[in-house]
Amino acid sequence: MDYKRDIPLAITFIVGVIAIGDYYTGIEAVTQTFNVIKNWGIVLQGFALGLGAVNLFRVHGRRLSARKEGTDWYFSGWLLLMLVVFIGLGLVTGEYEQGATYSWLYNAIYLPLGSTMYSSLAFYMAYGAYKVLRARNFDAALLFITAVLVIFGNTPIFPAIYPGFFHMREWIFGPIVSGAYRGVRIGIGIGAVVLGIKTLIGMETGYLGRR
Amino acid sequence: MSVWEKLTSLPREVVMGLVIIAMLIPALSPLGLPLMTGQMSQDWYDTIEALPEGSVILFDIGYGSGGYPSLGPGTIAAFHQIFENDLKLVIMATALEGTLMYPLVMAAVQPESNYGAVYGEDYVFIGYIAGTQTAMAGVLGDLHELVTNDYQGNPISGMPLMDNVGGADDFAIVAYVTTSGDVAEGWVYQAYSQYNRDVLGGTLSMMTTSIKPYYDSGQLLGIMDGVKGAADLEFLTGHPGDAIVSSDILTFTQTLVLIFIAVGNISWFMQKQEGSG
Repeated sequence: MDYKRDIPLAITFIVGVIAIGDYYTGIEAVTQTFNVIKNWGIVLQGFALGLGAVNLFRVHGRRLSARKEGTDWYFSGWLLLMLVVFIGLGLVTGEYEQGATYSWLYNAIYLPLGSTMYSSLAFYMAYGAYKVLRARNFDAALLFITAVLVIFGNTPIFPAIYPGFFHMREWIFGPIVSGAYRGVRIGIGIGAVVLGIKTLIGMETGYLGRR
Repeated sequence: MSVWEKLTSLPREVVMGLVIIAMLIPALSPLGLPLMTGQMSQDWYDTIEALPEGSVILFDIGYGSGGYPSLGPGTIAAFHQIFENDLKLVIMATALEGTLMYPLVMAAVQPESNYGAVYGEDYVFIGYIAGTQTAMAGVLGDLHELVTNDYQGNPISGMPLMDNVGGADDFAIVAYVTTSGDVAEGWVYQAYSQYNRDVLGGTLSMMTTSIKPYYDSGQLLGIMDGVKGAADLEFLTGHPGDAIVSSDILTFTQTLVLIFIAVGNISWFMQKQEGSG
């Protein structure tokens, strides 16, 4: 018997059966049991976050100590420094929940950086639209027309001037996009059910990690 | 190099520089350009308006600093409407940074001074819960078994609002605003499919296509569609804010993008004509 394989498989099977039982039977005892399991899951996820932080120290600590030529090792140093500063500040001040100092540090450093990172996409999207959206052939022309109509519908002023732009966008989002996306979702759903059954009966063991 | 060739290959710096200018003009001097409220935002607004006074809403702040410029204003407008209608709020975060977005939103809404709301009676923040869909299932399943304290560490058992809330059956509606696809679809699976709760969803505009099918099928009653949806909600609730200013910026930049697309295509076509001629 391979305990490293069989015990996780048995746990998966038992938890899976309880989850299915909760969904389909609605028996109070099963629901209560599944609630406890869900709570364990959330606690485990919390531990995973801690483990992630430890792993960050390991990976970036190694990069920092190696300081290989051509690698951006100084970013690893900066990451670890910030990690230490934020953790240290929380522990020293006890303000890890909603403290003024902690919030200030976050609002002054991370908030603008996070917003900037995301907002910078706008520039690349504008440049990408200029360079790529060209009606070179029939397929590209279809993409071009769709994109232009969606931009007209999404730009606040155009539908306000002529509501038809909004309805055109809605039509593209409806029969075309939703129709296609539903097909994709149904495919994913069927795949998920098959994967779930295979996992439950031990045919799918990828989640156990590399062995 | 001909004019058409030059127009076909404008340097990146020029394109991006013009985008910056298009952003700065309305940001520095908001024009208040007209906007047409979309049906998805109208449905969000109407759904909240139709809730009886005292109904409890479970609201998930599922975004962090990156999503705040797009989704923060919409959350603020939604909270204004909720408090104005004397509804109760149980707020949670499926995003780790959601706990840091909460004070920013509340600083703008100011429920105590603006609406006389009382923490613990009218709203509670239970903080970040790890696990995404497991967290959703946990909160909807047995809230008190999962969460014993609010984000400040106060026991929730003594709070008047939380004494009446135990799980999915006690929520009139579940609303979320998120940058995560897993969260956006997860709430549909966990709240609508499992517990038949009404759900409202707010996402970035680029994600709207992926959740629109749920809206079309009635699994989502309304969608806050990025900045445009937030601007609609600000307009509908009568609380103009950053999103309405942003919609001016959207108008300028997206019009510029349309101009770039036109320039790119015309110059490419003309260049081709010159080549074949």
